Amino acid sequence: MPESSKMKKPDVKVVLLGDMNVGKTSLLHRYTEKKFKDTISTVGGAFFLKQWGPYNISIWDTAGREQFHGLGSMYCRGAAAVILTYDVTNWQSLAELEERFLSLTDTANLDCIYAVVGNKADLTDPKAQRPQETDVVSEDRTECEEDQTEPQVTSACPTPPASPASLSGLMLHQQVTHEDAVAFYGRILRYKGLDENNSLPAEKMCFETSAKTGYNVNTLFETLFDLVLPSILRKRNENQESPTVDLEECRGATGKRSRSACC
Amino acid sequence: MVTHRAHHLFGTYSEGRDQPRPPSILIGRLNLSSEIPDVCCGIAPDVSAVHQSDWDGIMERDNHQEGEAQGVKICDPPSESNPLAHTLATSLSLLGNHMFPDQVERNDSGTANKEETVDSFISDITAEEPSLDAESHSNQVTKLDTEETENPECQNIASTQPTDGGTEDAADNDQSDSGEFVVTMLAKAKLEEQGLGVKGRSSPLLEAGTQECPAFITHREEDVTADSWRQHRKHVFVLSEAGKPIYSRYGSEEALSSTMGVMMALVSFVQSGDNIIRSVYSEEHTVVFLQKGPLVLVCVSSSRQSEQQLRGELLYVYYQIISMLTQASISRIFEHKKNYDLRRLLAGSEKILDGLLNLVDSDPSFLLAAVHCLPIASSLRDSLSQILQKAITPNLVFSILIAKNQLLTIVQEKNVIEDSRLEPADVHLLLNLIGASSAFQAGEIWTPICLPLFNPDCYFYAYISYLDPPECTVCLLLLSTDKEAFYAVAECKRKIEEAMVAQNSLSLIAKAHSYSVSQVGVSDLRHFMYKPFDVPDNYRQLTQFTSPEMEAPYSSEEEKMRLLDLYRYMHSRIHSTSRPLKLIYHVAERETLLAWVTSKFELYTCFSPLVTKACAITAITKLLRWIKKEEDRLFIRYPPKYSTTPNPSKSSRSGKSDQQDSTDNGFLSLL
Repeated sequence: MPESSKMKKPDVKVVLLGDMNVGKTSLLHRYTEKKFKDTISTVGGAFFLKQWGPYNISIWDTAGREQFHGLGSMYCRGAAAVILTYDVTNWQSLAELEERFLSLTDTANLDCIYAVVGNKADLTDPKAQRPQETDVVSEDRTECEEDQTEPQVTSACPTPPASPASLSGLMLHQQVTHEDAVAFYGRILRYKGLDENNSLPAEKMCFETSAKTGYNVNTLFETLFDLVLPSILRKRNENQESPTVDLEECRGATGKRSRSACC
Repeated sequence: MVTHRAHHLFGTYSEGRDQPRPPSILIGRLNLSSEIPDVCCGIAPDVSAVHQSDWDGIMERDNHQEGEAQGVKICDPPSESNPLAHTLATSLSLLGNHMFPDQVERNDSGTANKEETVDSFISDITAEEPSLDAESHSNQVTKLDTEETENPECQNIASTQPTDGGTEDAADNDQSDSGEFVVTMLAKAKLEEQGLGVKGRSSPLLEAGTQECPAFITHREEDVTADSWRQHRKHVFVLSEAGKPIYSRYGSEEALSSTMGVMMALVSFVQSGDNIIRSVYSEEHTVVFLQKGPLVLVCVSSSRQSEQQLRGELLYVYYQIISMLTQASISRIFEHKKNYDLRRLLAGSEKILDGLLNLVDSDPSFLLAAVHCLPIASSLRDSLSQILQKAITPNLVFSILIAKNQLLTIVQEKNVIEDSRLEPADVHLLLNLIGASSAFQAGEIWTPICLPLFNPDCYFYAYISYLDPPECTVCLLLLSTDKEAFYAVAECKRKIEEAMVAQNSLSLIAKAHSYSVSQVGVSDLRHFMYKPFDVPDNYRQLTQFTSPEMEAPYSSEEEKMRLLDLYRYMHSRIHSTSRPLKLIYHVAERETLLAWVTSKFELYTCFSPLVTKACAITAITKLLRWIKKEEDRLFIRYPPKYSTTPNPSKSSRSGKSDQQDSTDNGFLSLL
């Protein structure tokens, strides 16, 4: 993936936010590499480029640790979509989203879209436990990599880091229900001063996923990418009209995000 | 400067003493040499052969710190052991000392290893390099002299005994008090651990523990009451001044909260007497304390390393914590709230600390406080440096290229380097960070990091990206002072990547590998570590060392560790605070080692066991010549610089001349 996207300019920015150990890196890893890996705690933030048809989507995977909180607003600047991630088995992780992370999104685009994602669904939901060979895939835009065979998911990596209980195969108590997430989504819209009727409906923007089995992961990212496309197109149009000269293009080098997108 | 010795705590401890001593902790620097007739070095026991012990035994007695740390097992029938001492020993086991064996073998048959000074060699050196002696401290000279004499025994004893006797007398007054205190504290902790609940300072710790989400790393779930936990070679604990656990290498911090409470009690007790606890020695373990600001670091080690080495390792742990949080913010936090649970901020960083401690155990660069760079042709190194030198952006201060966890090249901002230099310890922390953040190697990482020796209160922003996915061996590290500079710095990476593709650098780097000791062409030489000191002309340079691959017979992990332990032993002797040495010739069980430190370099060599002294000396001369010949390949000679902050006064002055500056590095100028 890096080879193919290396020289491309990112068109849109997506940011993963959430408390420590909710599985942000694992979600992204599941989506980009199609496997679940026992990752270690992210330091700072990690930047990825994803080819989505003709577009380049940059994804910022941030550290959930409080230690790196100071960088949050930098990651969110100019974001077109923010994925707020919590752990379905940990009520606190949803509360943290509201307390710590929501304010970071102040620097995101005004038309930024928000997704509320409950990860680790495999620990509470039997239907999320089956390895998901292919999620709902919208064929027209996917690259061939989407069809790669599923590597041995469950055997190689026994458990997501923060859930030792899953070792025993026990079902954990689901602490955060879908309704809680929907209610939280409503509060995000209110925080942003958005009208619920003109915004994307909560049912569409609240997901429960499992990075371990792959449940709903592709759906999440692809739904988001589809939704941010208008933002990309609008930006492209703006850029065409914009009098700004892109110095980077003259040198044939890319990768630097156009400043005009920033607030 | 107080050394606590719990040596007595474990009942009787030397032959011929029928009455067990009451447990005690001695305050003051004691010389116990007269009480330990049979102390010997236990690194390579070879009980059958006792050669050359005349000199060595004396040396050990004089060097009692090491001697005790490496304590011989001293016999004592279990039945005789004093009940008080026994209780105390059980309690002290809370500190990780599980060392009260049921049956201890009597090992009074004599010294275990053969060691001798190289009398003739010393005179050779003095002849070759007169400055050596001139620079050394006068006492060192006298020590070297005594080593040379035929019968050094009486001289050494005569010189050390009187002064030490005085210290001991003074310290004896304190014995009973502190001993009792320790007993009480430890017994209290034991009760707590058994759930009998002595209410006191540790209750907030337990409270904090319950709030914490479950620990997720397997060795954090270790049962801290199990024998296997106690048998770990080296434990490291970090706690706050309020006694709150912050980090434990093995086992969860919550489970260890009462143990840490005891540690804090020891620290504060000694502190209340306007003193600082530095270490506690027991038969098999050394407990070293390090207080840094509001943090207390404790190491419980059975590795037989010296106290200074262990303290150095604790310092690395402290620096790693600083590198994540900065000293200023830690002080601020604890000023504001004394009983803050620092794990809130460090959560998730345990693996970085774990990784650091594993590296410290397995990588000699920490011991030598020097950086290991990958040997490559100087032309390739220069071209890589030039690539880095060209890809700059405002506020970029360091560009570092790493392959296989070894340094390829480092380019520094000119104005920065004029004020300060990058310390090896900071580079080690960066390398550890890279190792720890490799979970998602395809991405580009942007993270704040503090370089504690450069400036403990400020953050740099580190850009980390691998240049050769998916192998991920070549890593680019760019440090900027601007938090927002990610996209600009990422752009530098693209330029570097393009230039490296154009020059086919990656495939050249892939061919580079560490060298074999056979290239030196000295048959008996098995391994060496050579660290040149920089000379005044070039004092801004990063301290480096070179070392070949560890090859057979040091191919297995155990053997590697054994060789490293031997090196650590040699290092501790060379750098002993009580009696530093310039040269040691050490005949161990399965190899012969020679360590030599001069004003120009520090050298550790390992030979096959049958080498003679004369052979070893010739081999070292050859080795030094070889290093001199290869130094362009082995070391980064002239680290280039760039200027990213426009500052006409400075840039006009130096220009590119820095790079051309061909001052002699001082490598082996004595040859």
